[in-house]
Amino acid sequence: MSRVPQHVPFELGGAALRDAIIQYATNPIYLDADDWQNHDNPYRRQLRPQILPHLDFDRVPGRENILDYPSLAAQRLLTTIYEADLVFFPKSGLKGKEEDFRAFYSPSNRALGEKIRPALERYAFGFLDDEVETSGKWTKASLDSYLDSLEMNGGDEQSPAERAILGSADPRRAARMWLVQFTADFLSEASPMLRNVLGYYGPTQSEWFKVIIDEYGYGVHDTKHSTLFERTLTSVGLRTDVHRYWQYYLNSSLLLNNYFHYLGKNHEHFFRYVGALFYTESSLVDFCRRADRLLREVFGDSVDTEYFTEHIHIDQHHGRMAREKILDPLIEAHGEGIIPDIVRGIEEYRVLLDVSDGDFSAQISWMDDQPELKKLHGPVYEAIREGRVEAPVAHLVEPFNELSNTHCHEGDELCHIVSGTMRFESGLDSSLILEAGEGVVIKRNRLHGADILSDECVYEIHSVGDYRSCLL
Amino acid sequence: MPVVSFSVAGRDNCVVVGGTAYVYATVKGRGFVMNAQCPHRGGPLHLADVTADGSQLVCPWHERKTATARLRGRIPSVRTGKRVTAVIPDQPVSRGYAAAAVCGGATSREHRPLSPSITTPVTES
Repeated sequence: MSRVPQHVPFELGGAALRDAIIQYATNPIYLDADDWQNHDNPYRRQLRPQILPHLDFDRVPGRENILDYPSLAAQRLLTTIYEADLVFFPKSGLKGKEEDFRAFYSPSNRALGEKIRPALERYAFGFLDDEVETSGKWTKASLDSYLDSLEMNGGDEQSPAERAILGSADPRRAARMWLVQFTADFLSEASPMLRNVLGYYGPTQSEWFKVIIDEYGYGVHDTKHSTLFERTLTSVGLRTDVHRYWQYYLNSSLLLNNYFHYLGKNHEHFFRYVGALFYTESSLVDFCRRADRLLREVFGDSVDTEYFTEHIHIDQHHGRMAREKILDPLIEAHGEGIIPDIVRGIEEYRVLLDVSDGDFSAQISWMDDQPELKKLHGPVYEAIREGRVEAPVAHLVEPFNELSNTHCHEGDELCHIVSGTMRFESGLDSSLILEAGEGVVIKRNRLHGADILSDECVYEIHSVGDYRSCLL
Repeated sequence: MPVVSFSVAGRDNCVVVGGTAYVYATVKGRGFVMNAQCPHRGGPLHLADVTADGSQLVCPWHERKTATARLRGRIPSVRTGKRVTAVIPDQPVSRGYAAAAVCGGATSREHRPLSPSITTPVTES
């Protein structure tokens, strides 16, 4: 027999990984935008490639660092890579956007994305390996006891995100920001799930397909869930073109959506997807009931909540279908050895919901607190000027309309305007105008950006770490 | 089967179900829920040493060795962060030593010190 060369599994890390990520993200459709919103162009996503050479995607962050900027960058990259499998067209047609269309779906873009995807997935989801661990011998009977014990419905108790909206200084703004977080998922709803429809795996495949038939409105476009969600968006004054609000997606919103793409794209995680699907479908009923109530409370009767009321009904079936028609038959067919992955998927999804709730609530507080954080500039800057606090400083000079696309930092920072005028963006419809001598405290992990409104703006960014240390 | 959640470390790191105590142990970086009593004479297995290769827990009372793999395989559980959820079998899992019956028993939580050999490293989050 002729000698067979040794098989070497694919692995990318270090400088080679960084270079490959930069090669992918420097595609012209991924460069910074000069507006806060995208305009009916689903191929344009701001990946901030100029920052990527400084990020290390080899060291997997723990949960405590999962909202840092490298994670946001990884989630933006992954969303873009995953969505090259989906079909998007501008609502107004392709005319004038043909080049972007080809750039997004080109073999080069797709191949470059696939090359970096495994390393980015390790970076983005690796923390779940530490966060969730199963052990012991799981049987069908012990799984049933565990599933029966899960508190999936939440009842009438509001989640932290829901409380943040109702307690916000501007509940309508907070509720719009909340709906925007769902657009990456709901406009292409069930697309990750469809990844598990392909192939050939017996009766469960058909049961899986039934859930999707509901999501897609039985081929009647008016009843497709994404259509219902578009009506919700429109009724509260939001636009419905794909990724219009890309720059306002929080890290954890992308994390949650990407998680299902990650499990659906990598079929070795099929059973984790089954667990997460079961939990999603079972817990959505009460969530949607509360969402319907919340939106009506905030916007009055003008809001269209059919998207949510439809789920109150259909997910009662989907929760049951996921357990009786998918989960149970899969265990019957493939044995109890798949149960730990099912349990893992359930618990991982719960962790991600928790991360997302915390992230969103913190962002709403951050938006509400902008006037206070502007006032805090005075004492914090004083502490730096008097030398009571030493912090690395970056001196920046930017021209008119230089848009610092949204990002976040690993620690608190102080923005101080030396000359000129800046619009400081802290969320959808949330901004400050900063003049010379003014500034704002930028909190760790909070999404923000900036736009220069004067011919030129000279400003400083002081990396203070924890701004409270400047107030002692 | 009773399903219980408890802390992997610190206060309330032990759940007592129907008179049988369970703790979360970590050996060689992998965690599991185990009966805190030695199957031999009911010694404090939560204070056990671990053999150098991690394959056995050694009870401090009579140095009776119990295979880690056996303990690890008994009680289905899932740890999420610093909490663990376990499905307790209806029958007592201790062999030899007569533990109280589990079925219908009360559930309570308490603290049990763990030997350093089986303590879960605590990370900030």
